[in-house]
Amino acid sequence: MIDLIAQSLFSGLLSGAYYALIALGLALVFGTMRVINLAHGELVLLGAYISYTAEERLGLDPLVSLPLALGVVIATNMVVYYLISLIRKDRELNSLILTFGIGIILTNAMLMLWSADIHSTTTPWYHDAVILFDTLFAMQAELVFAGAGIALVGAVWWWLEKTWYGRALRAIASNRDAAKLMGVNPQLTEVLSFAVAGLLATVSGLALYTAKVIQPSLGHNLTVKAFIITVLAGMGSVPGVLLGAVLLGVVESLTVTIASSALQELAGMVLFLLVLLLMPSGLFGRAKRRG
Amino acid sequence: MLLELKGISVAFGGLVAVSDVTFSMAEGEVLGLVGPNGAGKTTLFNAISGLARPSQGRARLLGRDLIAMPIHVRARAGIGRAFQVPQPLHELTVRENLMVAQRFGTGRMDRQRIDEILDLLKLGHKAESDAATSLALTEQKALEVAKALATDPKLLMLDEVLAGLETAGKRAFMLTLDEVRKRFGLALLIIEHDIETITRLCPRVVVLNFGRLIAEGSPEQVFNDPEVIRSYTGGEAA
Amino acid sequence: MNQRLKIAAFVILAYGAVPLALGGNPYVIGLIVASLTIGGIAVAWALLGNLGGMVSFGHAAFFGVGAYVSALLTLRAGWPVFPAMIAAGIGAAVASVATMPALRLRGPYFALAILAYAEIFRILATELKSVTGGAAGLLSIPRLPVVLGVDFGTKLGGYFVILTIVVMAMVVYHLIRRSPHGLALKAMHESEDATRVVGVNSTLLKAWMLAVSAFITGMVGAFNAHYINFLDPDYAFAGLWTTLAIVSAIFGGYRTVTGPLVGAVVVYLVDQLLFKAILPQGHQIVLGVLLGAMILFSPGGLMALVQMLVRRKESSHAA
Repeated sequence: MIDLIAQSLFSGLLSGAYYALIALGLALVFGTMRVINLAHGELVLLGAYISYTAEERLGLDPLVSLPLALGVVIATNMVVYYLISLIRKDRELNSLILTFGIGIILTNAMLMLWSADIHSTTTPWYHDAVILFDTLFAMQAELVFAGAGIALVGAVWWWLEKTWYGRALRAIASNRDAAKLMGVNPQLTEVLSFAVAGLLATVSGLALYTAKVIQPSLGHNLTVKAFIITVLAGMGSVPGVLLGAVLLGVVESLTVTIASSALQELAGMVLFLLVLLLMPSGLFGRAKRRG
Repeated sequence: MLLELKGISVAFGGLVAVSDVTFSMAEGEVLGLVGPNGAGKTTLFNAISGLARPSQGRARLLGRDLIAMPIHVRARAGIGRAFQVPQPLHELTVRENLMVAQRFGTGRMDRQRIDEILDLLKLGHKAESDAATSLALTEQKALEVAKALATDPKLLMLDEVLAGLETAGKRAFMLTLDEVRKRFGLALLIIEHDIETITRLCPRVVVLNFGRLIAEGSPEQVFNDPEVIRSYTGGEAA
Repeated sequence: MNQRLKIAAFVILAYGAVPLALGGNPYVIGLIVASLTIGGIAVAWALLGNLGGMVSFGHAAFFGVGAYVSALLTLRAGWPVFPAMIAAGIGAAVASVATMPALRLRGPYFALAILAYAEIFRILATELKSVTGGAAGLLSIPRLPVVLGVDFGTKLGGYFVILTIVVMAMVVYHLIRRSPHGLALKAMHESEDATRVVGVNSTLLKAWMLAVSAFITGMVGAFNAHYINFLDPDYAFAGLWTTLAIVSAIFGGYRTVTGPLVGAVVVYLVDQLLFKAILPQGHQIVLGVLLGAMILFSPGGLMALVQMLVRRKESSHAA
C-alpha cells in the first residue's frame, strides 16, 4: 500500500510540474491585463497538435518541432490579444465571454482539422520507463517535462523579480496609471505577457502530447484546470502557482489510487470550491478576490 | 435616548482611528461633530452607519443594539446618511433614487412624500434626470440628503454636505436643512468644518482629535477651549 | 400602445400561426422546441446576468438537477408530470442555495465556481447509481400528459408547454426589472454600498435572482426530460446547454427581455439548418464566431443593434 501511495505521490508531483506551466501562462495574462483567457487550454492543445502534425508528416521529434509550434501558438495568442484589446467597456466580463467564444472556435477548428481521434507521440523514447530508487516509475517524457516545468517556472519567476521588464509587468499589474507615468509602456508589457503565455502553453502542449494523450475536447478541461490552480495559488505568487499545481496533481493522483479514476475530476473541483470559498486569497497569495 | 455611544473604538490593523468615544443624542437634537482633518469623524460615521466595525464599545439606537445590525437593517431602523462624496444610485434617475430608498428604507411607497422631498430640496426639475451624470454639485449634495430623507430616518447624519459650496449656496442649504429638520422632526448629526455653520445650527458640539473626544458643550464653550484651539492649530503629536 | 400591439402579435404568432403552419411537420417543430428549450435557459441566464449582475458558466447545473428531480419523482414516486416539473424547479432553486456562498466572489470567479458546481453535480449523478441510474441514465421517463383532452406528449403539445414556460419566464424577468427591486439591482452594479445604506439587503436580492434563475432553468430541464423521455448525466449536465444559452443571450441581447429568446431561435436554427449541413464536424464553430463578433461589435446584442438601426431610420425620415 505504501508503495502505491508513494508512486501516486510521485506521479502527482510530476504532472503538477507541467500543470504549473499551463497555469502560469493564464496567471501571467490575468496579472497584467486583469483578463482571464478562457481559450488558453485550446492554445496548449494547438501546440500539441502542431507537433503531432510535424511528427506525422515529417517524422520530426516533438522537441525538434518546438520552434514551429511556438511560432503558431504565439501568433495565435497575438490575435487573441488584439481582439481583447478591441473591447472598450466592462473589460473583465466581456473578455471572459469573448475568450470563451474564441475557445469554441479553436476547439472546433481543431476538430475539423484533426478529427476527434486521440493521439500521443509515436517517438518511443518518450514513453520509455525510468525507475527511480528501485520503486518509483516514470516515463522519460514525464521526467523531462517536469524538469522543464520547474526550470521554466523558475525562469519566469526570476524574470518577474529581477529584470526591468519583469518589474514593469508587476508595476502595470498593481497600478497601471502610475506605471505609465514612470515610463512603462503598458501595451508592450501586455504583448510580452501574451507572448510568454504562448511559450508556456506550447511547452505544456508538448508535455501533454508526449506524456499523456490529446484530443480536441480537452481544451476546455485544461483551461478550467489552469484556473483552478491560479485560484489555489492566489494572486501575485509565482512559486505559489508551482505549489498549487503540484497540490492539484497530487490530489488527483491520490484520488485515482485510493478511490477511483472517475472521481479524479471531482477531487479537483471540490478542492477548488473549498479554497475559493474559504480562503479567498488562495493558499499563497496576497490580493482581493471578494467583490 | 435616540443614540447612545459608549467607548467606541475603531482600529484598522495597527492604526487606531477612533478611540473610546462616548456621547449620546436625544430625539430631535442637533449635534455638531468637529475636529481637524483625520480626527476620525468620518470613521465614526462609518461605525454608526455600519460601514466600519468597532473593535470595542457599544452603540444603541432607541435602546436596540446597533452594532449587531447589518447596514441595511440600520437604515430601516432609522439611520440616514449623506456621504461627503456624493454616492448616487447609478443608472437610475433622481426620482428612482428616492423610490428605491423609500421602498427599502421604509417598506412602503408614498409618491406624495417623494414629491415633497424633491420640492424641499429643490430637485423637482431634475426628477427624471440621471442621478449620476447630470447633476451640478449643489444638486448632487441635495440628492444625498433627499435619498437619506426618503428612508424616513430618525437620525440624519450629514458628512460635510456644505463642503465645496460658496457662501450664498451654504446659506441656502443651511436654511433648507433647518426646514427639513423642523418638517420631519429629525435629529441631525453634522460634520462640518465651517465654524459659523456649526455655531448657527448646533446648540451642542463634540470635538474629536486623533480619534479621541476632547471637548463637549455649546459652540461658545467648545471653540474657546484651549485644547480645542490647540488641536486645530497644531500641537502635540498623537 | 405600440407595446401592446407587439405583444398581441407575438401571442397570435406563437400560439396560433406557427402551430397552424408548421404543426404538420414534426422535424421543424422538433427544432423549434429545441430552440425554445435553449431560449428558456437563455432567459434565465440573462436574468441572472443582467439583474443579478453575475455571469454564470455553469447553468447546466440547474438544468440537470431539474431534469433529474422531475424524472425521479415521476418514475420512482409516481408523481404526475406537471406538478413534478414545478417541484423540479423548486429543487433546482434549492440546489442554487448550495452555490450561494459563491455570490461573494467577483465576476470571473463566480462564473467558474458555478462551472465547478455543474461538474460536481454531473459526477455525483454518475456515481450515485442506485438513485440516478448512474452513467446509463434513466429510460422511459413519463411523457407529458393528456390534460383536458389535449395530448401534450406529442411534438406539438410539447411545443405549447415549452412556449408557455419561456413566456412566463420572460414575464417574470420583465416584472422584476420594472419593480423597485429591479431598480435596486440595476443600481447595485456600481453602487452597492450606497444601496445598502438606504436599506437594500443586496446579498439577499442577489440570492433571490440566483434562485429564480435556477428555478426557471430547472423547469426547462424537467420539460426536456419528459419531452425526450431519456436522461443521462453527460447529457443533463452537458456544457453545451450553458454554451448555447450564453451565445443566445449575448447574441440576442441579454439586457432585454426578448433578446435571449430571439437569440436562441436564430442561433440554434442557423446552426442546425445551415451550418450543420456545411460543416458536419465542426459546425459549432459558428457559435464561437457569433459570440465573439457580438461582444466586439454590439455588446448589447442583436436587439440593441436592431433598435439602433430603427432609430437611425426614424431620424433620417424626420430629417
